[in-house]
Amino acid sequence: MTEEQARSSKPFDPLEPFRGMRDAYLDAMAKAMVEAVNTEGYAQATGAMLDNTLTVSAPFREAMEKSMLQVLEQLSLPSRQDVIALAERFSNLEMRLDDIDAKLDRIEKQRHSAQSVVQAEPAMKANSSSKAKPASGVKTKTPAAPKRAAPAKQARARHRTARKGSR
Amino acid sequence: MTQVPVTKDQLALLEKRLRTINEVMTTKAAIAQTPKELVWTLNKAKLYRYIPVVPQQNRHPVPLLLVFALMNRPYILDLRPGHSFVEFMVSRGYDVFLLDWGVPGPEDKSLKFDDYTLEYMPRAIRKLKAITGAEEFSMLGWCIGAILTTIYSALRPDDGLRNLILLTAPLDFSNQQGLTFARWANEKYFDVDKVLAAFGNMPGEMIDYGAKALKPVENYIGNYLKLWDNLDNPQVVASWHSMNTWVTDNIPLAGGAFRQLVVDLYRNDRLMKGELMIRGQRVDLSRLRANLLTVIAEGDHITPPCQSESILSKVGSSDKELFRVPGGHIGIMAGSGAHKRTWPHIESWLGERSS
Repeated sequence: MTEEQARSSKPFDPLEPFRGMRDAYLDAMAKAMVEAVNTEGYAQATGAMLDNTLTVSAPFREAMEKSMLQVLEQLSLPSRQDVIALAERFSNLEMRLDDIDAKLDRIEKQRHSAQSVVQAEPAMKANSSSKAKPASGVKTKTPAAPKRAAPAKQARARHRTARKGSR
Repeated sequence: MTQVPVTKDQLALLEKRLRTINEVMTTKAAIAQTPKELVWTLNKAKLYRYIPVVPQQNRHPVPLLLVFALMNRPYILDLRPGHSFVEFMVSRGYDVFLLDWGVPGPEDKSLKFDDYTLEYMPRAIRKLKAITGAEEFSMLGWCIGAILTTIYSALRPDDGLRNLILLTAPLDFSNQQGLTFARWANEKYFDVDKVLAAFGNMPGEMIDYGAKALKPVENYIGNYLKLWDNLDNPQVVASWHSMNTWVTDNIPLAGGAFRQLVVDLYRNDRLMKGELMIRGQRVDLSRLRANLLTVIAEGDHITPPCQSESILSKVGSSDKELFRVPGGHIGIMAGSGAHKRTWPHIESWLGERSS
């Protein structure tokens, strides 16, 4: 590629000759501006500007709100305040629903674990008796079995209590 | 005579560049592409779970919850494919959840830190635990999200939080002279009640102006010159486009939370002094016992390093680390160097504590 071709393939940039100068100027400008915005004077000026804007616009805003409220009342339409109040109530309802949902999840989980214990119990009994027979031929007591049933009963009882509570 | 085709070519190229500028300035980039599912909502808040790509047996058992600031969109954490913190963590075997606060409406003007930390976060975390079956979890808070996660962690130390990562966390407001925002928010110049009486919530445009005005030349001029200078580099253009999409997507900040940010934190430094009250309960940082990683951006002009350093001496955690990264407030997580420095460090720190 000749030099001329390379030059022609490079996109035309009107700022190219001034780039170095531009960057140096912007760096200096950036530093100066950072210092400027960090002064009490800037804070005071922007604060005053905002305050004036709000003071001047407040009467117009209030008049607009009042007239809008009257128009909406005349048209039997809900105002912004009415909608806001409704939305707040929805949020509260959502929270309560979320809590109920979480409680139901917990109950469901407990029920599942209780069921799995109940299902596992006969299988364990069968297992223990089939293992015991060939070993000695003597019946062995398994005192653990009735104890294992207790959590399942408790879970079922808790389930019943929870259901009563939710009613 | 030979100058004519050259000029034509150059004009065609100039036209192409102007088209590119027009496109990136007027359209939205494809952002937040990592597949996710919505698992919980409350008012405007949404909890997303990113679809795991690593088999369950190879995943870390402790899920990770990401909490971003209230006044910006959280998809900065999942900016675009190949440049996404979420995508990176999901590919490393983390079960990643994202809490998106949503856009507050006029009905949310009274929402405070109290509501976010004691109503929203506990419920979202309860859902996270129910879904994953995990009793413990990790949490990453960024900017205002770091304030919320810190308050939550101190108020509910027994909720199962194992690891806490704070990114550019504005927690210490004692150095009033070093904080430009503190100067602007001074009660002599800024009437927070008047602003909130007029707007209800703090408008996103005003927040955006405040953030940009800290470095006006860089944000209002330098940013666009950077695009102009790199118009022939598709990677830079794509990166600029996605970042511009995020930067221009401003949302308001709930009035109650903004008042607390200004009055309780910027003006009175109540969190560090141990005087911040949330629903009548004092936020005692010594009750925060989770493993703690604080990431500081050395060139951060929004949250200068002095705001995030002192938290380590206040918390009750025995395992704590301060990690400094060169870069700015957003750049450390979403900049071109994030995947080489910040992400791997967070991942390795968390990995050691998530098994």
